[in-house]
Amino acid sequence: MIHRKISAAIAAAGLTALVLTGCATDAGEEPTTPGEPVAGAPDWCGPEEAVVGLLDGFGGNSWRLVTTAAGADEVAKCPSVVEYLYADGQGDTQKSISDIQGMVASGADAIVVFPDAGEAMLPALRSAYEAGVVTVPYRVNPNGVDGEDYDIWVGADFVADGVAWGNWIQENFPDGANILFLSGPAGNSQGIDERTGFESVLTDPKYVFIGEQPYEVTNWDPALTQQVLTAAIARFDQIDVIVSDFGPSLVGALPEFENSGRSIPALVTSDGNVLSCFWEEKNASNPDFDLFTVATGNDNVRLAVQHAVARATGGVIPSETSFAAPVFEDSVSGSPNPVTCRDDLPGDIYLSAQMPADDQAALLQ
Amino acid sequence: MAEATATPRLLTGSRFGISKGLLTVLISTIALIVLSAVLAPSSVSQGAVLGMLPFAAVLAIVGLGQMLVVQQGGIDLSVPGSVSLAVVIVTHMPNENDAMLLPAVLVAFAWAIGAGLLNGFMVGRLGLNPIIATLGTNALLFGAVLGISGGIPRTTTNLLSEIAGGRTLGIPHAVLFALAFLALVTIMVKKTVVGRRFKAVGASPAAARATGLRYRTHQGAAYVWAQLLFASAGILLAGITNQPTAFQGNSYLLTSVAVVVLGGTSLLGGRGFPAATVVAALFLSQLDQFVLALGVPFAVRTLVQAAALAIGVAIYTVNWTALRQRFAPPSVAAAPATP
Repeated sequence: MIHRKISAAIAAAGLTALVLTGCATDAGEEPTTPGEPVAGAPDWCGPEEAVVGLLDGFGGNSWRLVTTAAGADEVAKCPSVVEYLYADGQGDTQKSISDIQGMVASGADAIVVFPDAGEAMLPALRSAYEAGVVTVPYRVNPNGVDGEDYDIWVGADFVADGVAWGNWIQENFPDGANILFLSGPAGNSQGIDERTGFESVLTDPKYVFIGEQPYEVTNWDPALTQQVLTAAIARFDQIDVIVSDFGPSLVGALPEFENSGRSIPALVTSDGNVLSCFWEEKNASNPDFDLFTVATGNDNVRLAVQHAVARATGGVIPSETSFAAPVFEDSVSGSPNPVTCRDDLPGDIYLSAQMPADDQAALLQ
Repeated sequence: MAEATATPRLLTGSRFGISKGLLTVLISTIALIVLSAVLAPSSVSQGAVLGMLPFAAVLAIVGLGQMLVVQQGGIDLSVPGSVSLAVVIVTHMPNENDAMLLPAVLVAFAWAIGAGLLNGFMVGRLGLNPIIATLGTNALLFGAVLGISGGIPRTTTNLLSEIAGGRTLGIPHAVLFALAFLALVTIMVKKTVVGRRFKAVGASPAAARATGLRYRTHQGAAYVWAQLLFASAGILLAGITNQPTAFQGNSYLLTSVAVVVLGGTSLLGGRGFPAATVVAALFLSQLDQFVLALGVPFAVRTLVQAAALAIGVAIYTVNWTALRQRFAPPSVAAAPATP
């Protein structure tokens, strides 16, 4: 009797191991041999038909609107994608999770997810991946493992942004500077990565990081930004450079320098039309106000879409796995672009995005 | 209820009474300013104060609106929706065109009246719980925010930026607006017949009803006035921040109730204290500025604000006399216990 039980247990264990091995092989397998290329389409677009979905954790600002349109624009380049779905989580984690489950249930072959809630989205991503749907989270890191919890995370290289900012500061302030860094909510990984980036360049103690460390918390809220900056202006007699990862939110706050009888200092940040136009208006009366921007990164979604579509349609998987925002404007050198303001268009557009400015303006109408 | 109506005692040494709330919050604010000057002088420098005042003014106006509702024993939790909606309307409709600003402001006020009537009808006429009713309205207003804007903010027009964010003789315009609203609310509540009736209904709807007052109308009207004040605050906020978000009102939900309570108005209704509410808004804003200037970590910042609120609320709600009696040393009667 006992022998029979042991034999049955061994048999069951063996069977389980076989099944698990089979699952692991299935999950880890990627279409490495692309099929026939689709005429007139990029190589990441394979011949197999697919339904692709884009899921936003929070679709409620102009940046997201332009990003969503950029995702749709990228998908449209591949005729093998027969249907393109979109869902907006509206900042509600529960809704974002059920959006993923709903899209998997409705038969999507690939999903691109902006997991705003971070790690809270991981179980939903994993269950989509395990259900055989190509799952590509992007921009915000859900802290899972590629090939285990999802196919691949296509993040933005915020450390690279920080390095670009650090290099500019080093070049333009060779004798050192007092640097004030403003980022979003406390503990957000974007701010920490950016800080790592510019700190790796500005190692000399002549560069002094002032204010709360690792950054002043602003929640990326213009009103709070204004209050935080006002307090910093009063506290520090000398601020040479402001580093911020959301430049447009500073437009309401920067005049506080003028109100205190001081010149607006140099600003290294991400771009936005409202910010560029503000610089054009103010730079003559503020001799210290230099502006250096990196692209705000709407096109991060394009790389994520390419990864998802390539896997779902049997196309060539892109070799790049993270999106590095290119340097965009430099008011000192004018390279790669001088500060560019389109005052005939809304302030809420991003001239650094691949989508033409007028198309973005049309989206906002 | 008896405790609530007994709390706001008056010091009536002159023609104008000073409420206990106003006295407490005034002393606290002065103490805070002195503390700021000693521990974090930068928080009381001219630039910091001028930067803080517009936000204090917006909070004061929101607080005045909340006070009118609280005075009726109600509460309006649709503050975030109504402030955000006003922000969205006055930035979206004009779309940086100054000529469209006035129509946008009128539309914002029309929405405010609509939302106020809805709240007033649900609470005053149908007798719904104000928390539930106004939360529902808040959701509706956010629906309108998303419908109008898609959640996408727009840049403020130059004209609004100058009106709300500018200064005259060094005084931020937002402060002048707040003072004007304070005067309006004070005169309306304290010096008119309607205001007296309004107060009577808040103190005891049953008694007011027995004396023939139209108590439902008064209760409902409080919500309309409150919404008009919230909308005004939203319009000012849009001008001050230049590029607001579509959810700019979110931070005013709890703070609006906090300034009312810190100003000494009982959450059970009755008397309202407009001046104390405005000073409480100044106190909370200066507290923010003080803690920011101290340069303490964000976590400590939120703890300090929470502690200030807890202490403020405790001053009015804890029955200190009873507490003293409970912990007082035993009286003489207990002395001859030993033979």
